[in-house]
Order: sequence, then structure tokens, then C-alpha cells
Amino acid sequence: MPKITIDNRTIEVEDGVTLLQSCLDEDLEIPHFCYHPAMTAPANCRQCLVEVGMPRVDRETRERVMDEDGNPVIDFMPKLQTSCSMKVADGMVVRSHRTSELVKRAQKDNLEFLLINHPLDCPICDQAGNCPLQNQTYKYGPEGSRFEFRKVAKPKNIELGPRVVLDGERCINCTRCTRFTQEISGSHQLTIIERGVRNYPMTPPGVVFDEPYSMNVIDICPVGALTSKDHRFKARIWEMSQTPSISTTNAKGSNCVYHVKDNLVLNITTRTNMGVNEFWLADEDRLDYKKFNENRPDGPTVRGQARDWDAAWTEAATLLSGVDGARIQFLGSAHATTEDNYLLSRLAAHVGADTPSYIPHIEEGHGDGWLRTDDRAPNSQGCERLGFFPVDADVLKSRLSAGEIDVLYVMEDDPVGTGVCALSDLEGVKIILHHYHSTNATLPAASVALPAAMAVETVGTFVNCDGHAQRLRPAKAIRGVNRTLAMEVGKSRADLHGTPFDRWYTESNMVDCEPGWVSIPAIAERVGLNLSYKGPRAIMAELSDSNPAFQGATYDAMGEWGFRLDVVGQSEPHPQTA
Amino acid sequence: MASKAGDWRNYERVLLPPVKDLHRLDVFENHGGYDALRQALTTEKWNPSSVTEEVKKSGLRGRGGAGFPTGLKWTFMPPANPDIPRFICCNADESEPGTFKDRQVMEYNPHRIFEGMILAGYAMTIKTAYLYVRGEYADWITHMERELEKAYAKGYVGKNIMGSDFSMDIVIHKGAGAYICGEESSLMNSLEGKRAYPRIKPPFPAQKGIWNYPTTINNVETFAHVPLILSRGADWFSSIGAPSSPGPVLYGISGHVNRPGVYEYPSGMLISDLIDHVAGGMRGGKKLKAVVPGGSSVPVLRADMIDGVAMDPDSLREAGSMLGTAGMLVMDEDTDMVSFLRRITRFYHHESCGQCTPCREGTGWLENIVTRIDEGEGNMKDLDLLIDLCSQMEGRTVCALADAAAWPVRHTITRFREEFEAKCRPSLVATHVESAAV
Repeated sequence: MPKITIDNRTIEVEDGVTLLQSCLDEDLEIPHFCYHPAMTAPANCRQCLVEVGMPRVDRETRERVMDEDGNPVIDFMPKLQTSCSMKVADGMVVRSHRTSELVKRAQKDNLEFLLINHPLDCPICDQAGNCPLQNQTYKYGPEGSRFEFRKVAKPKNIELGPRVVLDGERCINCTRCTRFTQEISGSHQLTIIERGVRNYPMTPPGVVFDEPYSMNVIDICPVGALTSKDHRFKARIWEMSQTPSISTTNAKGSNCVYHVKDNLVLNITTRTNMGVNEFWLADEDRLDYKKFNENRPDGPTVRGQARDWDAAWTEAATLLSGVDGARIQFLGSAHATTEDNYLLSRLAAHVGADTPSYIPHIEEGHGDGWLRTDDRAPNSQGCERLGFFPVDADVLKSRLSAGEIDVLYVMEDDPVGTGVCALSDLEGVKIILHHYHSTNATLPAASVALPAAMAVETVGTFVNCDGHAQRLRPAKAIRGVNRTLAMEVGKSRADLHGTPFDRWYTESNMVDCEPGWVSIPAIAERVGLNLSYKGPRAIMAELSDSNPAFQGATYDAMGEWGFRLDVVGQSEPHPQTA
Repeated sequence: MASKAGDWRNYERVLLPPVKDLHRLDVFENHGGYDALRQALTTEKWNPSSVTEEVKKSGLRGRGGAGFPTGLKWTFMPPANPDIPRFICCNADESEPGTFKDRQVMEYNPHRIFEGMILAGYAMTIKTAYLYVRGEYADWITHMERELEKAYAKGYVGKNIMGSDFSMDIVIHKGAGAYICGEESSLMNSLEGKRAYPRIKPPFPAQKGIWNYPTTINNVETFAHVPLILSRGADWFSSIGAPSSPGPVLYGISGHVNRPGVYEYPSGMLISDLIDHVAGGMRGGKKLKAVVPGGSSVPVLRADMIDGVAMDPDSLREAGSMLGTAGMLVMDEDTDMVSFLRRITRFYHHESCGQCTPCREGTGWLENIVTRIDEGEGNMKDLDLLIDLCSQMEGRTVCALADAAAWPVRHTITRFREEFEAKCRPSLVATHVESAAV
């Protein structure tokens, strides 16, 4: 491993990496705009300039020349070098802005250049507060400007595609967006047009920037030139709290950040996890946030009548204990957490029912081998690993029509809405339903309807299509008192901006729902099964101990980046689906 | 310093000899055309490495502006490997203001260029050569395409040239009209059909050039010299003109002289000889004020700085300028240097590709300020600001366009400061400006 010296500090670095990356790895900040670790470095922003020197090597002996004190003689390169394009080499000596006035000056000069044609409309810019240009200008830039001319006018408010809007004047021509479409997504839908100071990114003639990953360019844009058509002007970054969690749109389980204001999810952006989605997030994951805010139910109901939670749980318990276990069908859920499904399977076993099945949400042809999968639910793997099998709609329907099922217990899903059965099939069947939305098509037939906490409101574990177990963190509060959730909310919502604009205690946007790990133990208690755990953490701890399919997947092991579960063999076919 | 051109008055032109219709293949053949190529391909004396050696020995230096030793450049190519394509490219994207010498070779002696390219291709074992011509030279492209067809028909280019087992194609590629395409790495991007942004060096073209394969790029005039070096010998070539940069040079003289044009003379001509004797003296008997010796980007010389200065790299460096492309701009006493600089800054502003921040933003800012001064709206502090901006641009970009844009500003202001001050509004306070004046 080569050793390099940065600002009088010698470190060992990985061979073959760039100087900038090795500095960033060491938490030595070097301002930069165009460099992105996943893409080639064009070295065009010229912000990461540093002084670079190499030990002098004797031409004859090929050995390093030493001075009187026995230190190698360092020859500094005549020009400043861009650290993003410079590969590290053993013995390299680097002076950054911390030790070099020349570098400090160069960075200041460059920022002055970057700002002369930048509109400086930060007060109305969506990027403000989260803007590399803004941040680095405050840190390294000049105090004012000597530019006394009209700024270059470029097209503004251009819809590059259905989801991305361009402000050409804010663009600093780092080419991250065009390189994304060339090197990462491969769509080639963006290019730089015009020349010189009039440059800006644009789609080629006749092309619409509509690839399924287009919104990633919003994240990587170091200024506010590319903004989300959906989110722009909705909320300032500091008005929202940011919760790192998992997206729920597909089985990839891409890591994301939920932006929440007053208990409404307003935006979803990517979160880097090199083991899952790297730096990227599909557009569908980003835009699928309205489901957390809209059509949410308001408290439990029994046969359509609003009841309190106690009454609803008691009613559910009555339904379960009133019949032979073999005549109860449990449906787990690929939308629910592993913990909740596990509790459900315990409950099913206790009342003598078969292992739950789950409703698959497969959309053939949707997957692309990258971050989108055919499976449109986030936790099918978790269900499979618990021994659940996908429900066979024909078998279920024939059993329903044969009158073999008295009670149908549906966990956080919608058998009617997904077409597994029709409302008419369910006549005479008592249904216990945990549901997310008041639009749930099974809801009219439900005897007991228990609103369930969604992924942004609960704590739990999803297992993605590759067997990667990852934690959900609550981004918004639910109505009612839940100490575990309250503590998790406090721990997971990083106070990035230090301002109190997000009022998480805003009651009006709270949903009266309960997570599965509250509802199921409450019902279980009423049928004589003790399922009281100290929260999902304890459930997962037990599961990781007792079930080889989840071996080692404790909350501590999953941490921020998830835990890769062992590959497990296929278990015996389910009698129902055989 | 004295002329290094020797007996230049009796110099016999070799690159653009006074032969009528030399561009025609039959005329060219009658005047020794393609002889050097025939010798190289058919006689025992020559093989690829001896051709390179001869060019190296001749001391030929690139005529595109940077003056890099040509033979040395050729040796940078990795050893030939039949599995890995490799290319040479002739840079005919002549666009530096004040430079128009390559056009003359393309018009009057195109076969000499082809011959030089094939010889270079032979020396470096090349199968495909590109001739990248700027789009504005549309007529010359048509002209050369026609002549190239004839050369193909006669078997000078293409498969098994002159019955040997050496084959090479020449592809003429038309640029789309951007100055930056003359920079070799952006030329390669342009040739590949990409946006002509210069590439970061290293890797150099010999390592990763066109389509990331080994590539050597030379100027038109450089290639045109190669057949002469082979047929007349390296010693003949190195005996011409200034020893540090020998050989015939095409001097493009423009501006306020009586006979502007392209003149072929030995290297190391005195600037004063070129103006007074070659170009027929100053127009209207005016006094000389300034000379830009090698294309618009090299530092301007005041009339009192050219005494005894010869057109070779060392002499010009001593005088405070550079040889560049030897395209000389001559200005008489009536020239407004502010206006001159305004035009130059406008050019670089227009031609900056916009890849790197300092150049993209700096070139426009320079033009803004110089324009303001030229229109009488400038302030004294603007002059210091201009110099300051030049320091902020020089050496901080991927390619040399920022330097090319900054040098004329820096040197025109320092060498003609009184003219700039005269156009600025008088200052009542100290003129020095801090880096971040609010």
C-alpha cells in the first residue's frame, strides 16, 4: 500500500485510487463539484486543485535522493494538480488548502469564477441548504465579487422530461448529469449543448429525459440546476426532518431518506449503501410517497362501526377462538415487516391453523436487473424465509367456495384489490384485516379492520431480493403513545439543520394506526398466547437465534447498512399450493 | 542577436516551390513527388525505424505551435501489435488568428502532405491515418479529396502501396468549426463524434489516443517536411536556419505591411527582415508599433523590443514572446492596442469550450472588462483586475486555451499600459484592487 503525505500527515492509502478519494476516505475535505466516486473524473470544475510533489529519483541509480537530514527531496509539480484525476503514488507529498496559501487562493479564485454567472437565487432555490456550491462558497469562497457585468442568460424552467426540470443559469457545467446517463444508466438522454459560458445540459433533439432513473441527476447535481418537478417549491430542506430508511416500492430495498414535515412525507431521496443500491434510487421509489399521507384510515372498525382498539382486538380474538383452527386461513404480507409476519405465524400456530401464506405482488417485466424488480413488494424474501408460501389464488378460491374457511386473517394486504379473490367469494367468511388505506378493496367485507402502521411509521426488518436484511426506521409519528416508536423516532431522525420547522407532534397528520407488533400480541393475549416482547428489536433477536434463515440478523448487526443473510435451501412445498 | 537564416535572400523554396499546378498529381510526380516514399518502401536503406531515426536526426520540430521534436514524438508510440489498432492524424484544424500557412500547403502542395503522412505511417506501422481539416476550409477539403482520389488511383495510398506490403488509408475528416478542435485531445474527441472537450493528460495520445488506441498527431507543415528530410537527408534539413529549430518555415505575415502573405524562408529570420524586406515594409510608410510573432495567443512585442530578434524559439523567448505558429501579426503606429486586445479577448471568449471553470468564466469576464475600457467606461482598477484574472486562469485548466487567452491580455496590458490608462476614467484613489473587493 502506497504511503502519501497530506498536509504533513502521512497515511497509507489503497493503490490505484485517486488522491481526492483517498483524502475523502481520511475525512480530509477537499472542495470539489464534478468528481463523483461512481463516475469518471473529467476534472472540469477545477475546484480540487492541490500542490503535488514526488520524491526526486536519481536517474542513474533509480533511488530516491535524500537531503542532509535524510529526508527525501520532494519536487513539486510546476502547476497545481486536480486531485480528482491524480492517482496516488508512494511517497507523494500533497499540500491542500490547510497548508498552502497557493491552493487556498486557487480555490477562492475558482469559486469566484463559478459564481460570476451563477444567478445566486438561493432564497428561492430548492437546493439551498443542501447545496455543495453554497456550502463550499461559505467555507472556501471569496467574500464578495468583482464582477460588474450582466450575467449570462440561459433557458430556465425547462422540463427535460416528466420528472426533471432544468434551470440552465444555475448550472456550473460539472457534467455529472450527462455522465450519469452515459456511464451509469446508459440512456444517453442528456448532453451538453452550446459552447463556452452558454453551456448547459439538454436532451438531444427529439429525446425526452424519461428514463426510470432520471431523478438521480437531481441528487448528484451540485447546484439547483436540476430539480424535481414533483417536489420543487414544496418545502425547504431545513423545514423537513430526514430519516434514513428503506424504500418500499420493490424487492430491491434501495436505501433512501424520507423527508418529513409535520408528519407528512414530502420527498424521498437516495441514501448510499454500497451493498444494495450504491448511490442510486429508481424514480418509482422516489415518487411513491403519497401513499403514506393519503387515504389513511382513522382508527379501528368492527363491521364498519368505529370502535376503540381494545374492543376491536377483543372482537378479533373472539372470531379466532370461536372456530376450529383448520378453518382459519392466515395471510401474511410481503408489505409487512418480518417481525410482524413472525408474530402472525406464532398466532396461527397457537390457534391450530396452517402456516400463513402471503399474497405475491409480481409484475412480470417490470424488473430491469438493476434497482427495479418484478416483485413490487418489499419483503417477499422475509415471508419466504419464515416458511410462508405465495398464496395460490385458485386453491384459495376453491376452498372459499367449498366453505372450508370460516375466518380469513389478512395481514397488511388486500386480497380483493390484488385479485386473489372477489368480494363475492368472501360472503359468509369472517375477515380480520390489518390495512393501510381506507381504499382497501377488502375493507367492505372486513369484520374487524385494524389500521396498520406503514413502513415509515414502524420499526422492523425487510429482507430484499438478494437476502439483505435491513432495518426500517420510523420517519413520522402515529397517534397514540408508543414508547418504542417514540424512542426510535428520536434516534433515527437526524437533526441536520438544527431548526424546529418540522413539527412531528402535529396531530392532524398523525394516523390512528398500530404496528403489527402491537396489534398481534394484543389479540394473542386475548386468545391465551403470550407474545409480549420488548419491541421489534427483541423479536428479531429471538428470530435470529432460533431460525437459521435469519441467523445473525440482529438489529445491531444490521445497523445502518443491513446484514447479508445466508442463502437458505428451499423448504418443503406448502400443502396448500402443492 | 542576429539573423540565423543565413543567406536567406538566395533561399530556394522547397515546401511551396514556384511550380505551376504543383497540386496536380502529374506535375507533382514530374518534380520528384512520391520519390521519397518510393525509396522508403522499396530500397534496403529504409525501414520504419531508420525513417524515424532520420526525422529525429533532422531536428524537425512540430510546426503547430508547441514546437515539440517530431522524431521524438514518434518514438513515444508503443511497439506495434497487429491486434491493437493505432493511428496517426494530421492536424489541419488551423484556426489560430493570424495563422494561415497550412492552408497554402493544402492548396498548392497537397500531395506533399499525403506523402509525408504515408511516410510517417510507414515509420510507425499505421494502417489508418486521419486528416482533420477545419470545417471552414470546405473548398480545400473538396480540393484535397479530389487529389487524394487520384493518389489512390495511382496506388500511392491504399492497399500495397507501390507494390510493397505496406498498406495505409487516409481519411479526410471535416471539423465543424470550433477553435478548440485544434487542441489535439479535443480533436480526437471530435473525430470520434463526441463533444470536443479536451482530455486530461496523461494519458498522452501515444498511450491512449483516437478510440483509446495509440495515436500520433502532427501538424500539416510538419508532415510536409518529412518527404524532404528523407529525399535530401537529415543533414541538409538541419543545416537550414536556426540550429535549435532548423528547417524551412512558412511565415504567415499579416497586418499593416505592404505584401501580407505566406512566405517560405529558413527558420531564424529576423523579424525586421521579414517585415521590411519580405513583406515589403510597413503599409503607407508608417512606423511599426507592435508585432505578435506567432499567432494571437503569444505575447505581443513592442516595436522597440524586436531589434535583432530572430524567429526561432530561443531568440523569441529571450525577447519575451514565443514562436508559436510563426503567423506574424504586424501593427503600425495607428493601431489602438485596446481595440486590438478587445478583438482577441472576444475570440477566446467565443471559442472557449466551456469545460473548465476558469476558462469558461474567465474568458468572458476578460472580454467584458476590455470592452468596457475600449468604450471609455473602464476604471483604472480594471487593469489590475485584468492581470489578476489572468493569474487566476493560467495553468489551471485541462488544456492550454486559458493560457492562450490570458497571455495576450497580460502582455498587451503590461507592454502598452499607457494606452490602456489613457482610455480609462481617471482614478482619484489608489488603483490597486484587493482580491475580494466588495
